[in-house]
Amino acid sequence: MYKKLPFLSMLLLLLPSLLFALTADEIIGEMDRLSTFETTYLTGSIQTTDRFGTKTSRFNSWSQGKKDSLIEFTSAAERGQKILRTEGSLYLFYPDAEQLIRMQGAALRQSMLGSDISYEDMTEEKTTLDNYEAKLEGEESFKNRDCYVLLLTAKSRSVAYPIQKIWVDKQTFLVWKAEYSTKQGRLLKEMEVLETFNVEDRVLPKQSKIEDKMKKNSFTLMTIDSFEANPQLDKRIFTLENLTW
Amino acid sequence: MMTKLPNIAFRNIFRNFRRSLLSAVAIAVAAMSIVILFGLLAGMDADMANNLQSYYTGTIRIQHADFEKYERYNPIHLGVDWQSIKTIVNDNNQVRAATTRINFPANMYLGEKSHGAMGFGVDFSSEKDFIDFPSILQAGRLPQQGKNEILIGFALAREMSLGLGDKVTLLTTTATRASNAFTLEIVGIVGFPVAALNANSIWAPIDRIQKFLGMEEQVQQILLLLKDKADEKQIVNQLKNEIESKLGTVTDIRSWRELNKLYGMLKIAKTIYYFIAMFFLILGSTVIINTTMMIIFERMREIGTLSALGMHGSELTKLFLLEGFFISLIGSAVGVIIGYIANYYMGKIGLNFTEAMSGIDIEISSILYPQTSILTTVGVWLYAVVISTLSTFIPSRHAAKIQPVEALRYV
Repeated sequence: MYKKLPFLSMLLLLLPSLLFALTADEIIGEMDRLSTFETTYLTGSIQTTDRFGTKTSRFNSWSQGKKDSLIEFTSAAERGQKILRTEGSLYLFYPDAEQLIRMQGAALRQSMLGSDISYEDMTEEKTTLDNYEAKLEGEESFKNRDCYVLLLTAKSRSVAYPIQKIWVDKQTFLVWKAEYSTKQGRLLKEMEVLETFNVEDRVLPKQSKIEDKMKKNSFTLMTIDSFEANPQLDKRIFTLENLTW
Repeated sequence: MMTKLPNIAFRNIFRNFRRSLLSAVAIAVAAMSIVILFGLLAGMDADMANNLQSYYTGTIRIQHADFEKYERYNPIHLGVDWQSIKTIVNDNNQVRAATTRINFPANMYLGEKSHGAMGFGVDFSSEKDFIDFPSILQAGRLPQQGKNEILIGFALAREMSLGLGDKVTLLTTTATRASNAFTLEIVGIVGFPVAALNANSIWAPIDRIQKFLGMEEQVQQILLLLKDKADEKQIVNQLKNEIESKLGTVTDIRSWRELNKLYGMLKIAKTIYYFIAMFFLILGSTVIINTTMMIIFERMREIGTLSALGMHGSELTKLFLLEGFFISLIGSAVGVIIGYIANYYMGKIGLNFTEAMSGIDIEISSILYPQTSILTTVGVWLYAVVISTLSTFIPSRHAAKIQPVEALRYV
């Protein structure tokens, strides 16, 4: 009996954590839930630094649920350009063009405004588990925050990144860091949250640094200047008809 | 005896006429092939030089000093200010014509379809000295300045099922390193001699492209044509120094020869072809060597008799050498004349490689026109005569070494 005591004590100690430990799918589910609002409206900027210098583009963005989002650029060089993601498709509107451009497949991975962010990154749907198999790799401290380390493997070839490794905050479920790779493990892109802000008890990234590893000496800072959760939005915002207005 | 030798040698050709004819034909075929090959090479050389200067780089190209370094990143923002350089260019009395261009890779959208294309923003009025657009226009008209109109290569139009009046949207990078898309109407379909331009090029007024790409008054390239016999290197240096001293701008100014590596390779290839021509002639000469050797063995008794009668070895060598020389002379002459006529004819009708060259990105026209040159033809004729005659020297020498006693034993 005494011989079994250490084992039983260990079991008793670990029992709560074993009972309440989250699975990888639960972590991802919570992560998506906390980063999704019924509707949002935000303003922000994309600052890209590369071999030619630094340039800043400003934008307004609206989103609805997990799948609909609209971005409109307001800075002089791109004024009036819009990106609409709805029903799984991505459309670009340019004031000088008479037709909408529908981006699909590999084109979604193209750089947006010459930054390190792709169209896919910018308008990503919050349906991670539909597209990826998640595996909990362990736990790590990142920026003094306890994080889950998860490995996401794409279920199909239709996604931009076949492999994602993400560091998810154990408390806030914020993704602090992400590494995006090819199936063969070649690092394509890296994202790191530099600053955060709170909205309705949720922690969201205020400023993120994105580095496209395919480009040399290049990085992009995406900053959210203002954020409004659940504003009243006209549902026509996310229609193609509205885009060409 | 010396004066009689050529007569004897010439007469000997007809002693076995069919064999002499075979030797002459071999030399003729080799000489003809070389004349045709050189004619084709000269045609390719002239065609490439013309295409490179008309469609790609001008005789001299001026662009931003860093453009080529970052070319793979499509640095539209690295332009040059034509308005300030214009005065310097116009003041140079060796410059015959100047034009400006903006080249931009674009994705062309037509409904759900898309296709990669190479866009060119050009000034159609100053292009007339470079690209004669009216002469290559297959349908429609030229775009007008200030209007959203384009010309399209006929192969690209065919692939995308596009015609006059259709509108296409182009998505490309801008001078602010962002992107822009704009819609242009097809008003003309063009057929370039260069296959690659037909397959992927679109041509729009430069003022519209400057606006859509946010380039203001900047252009990407300034192309110049020089007057005949102008020293390209000297003009390059002059312009470089003047632009640098007067405007304080460092630009990349180079002549078309410096810019086009492939043309340099064509020059190297020509040198290699001279050697190939030599081997070709040696190969043709093997027939004459063989014929001479056979003649020597056949006429062994005759050689013995001539030696016994006092003919020197050197005279015997000369006799056979002269026989080979006459065959070479006639064979080469016939060969180069046929080659010249063939080149002249092909130069008129052209050799159509359109099917073979479709999809090949090379600055050589799909229809090649071989060139005729009296100088080259005479050169090849002399070259053929010398090599073939020298070839007969090897067996001819053998005749000199034959002992009369041994020779007379041959029946």
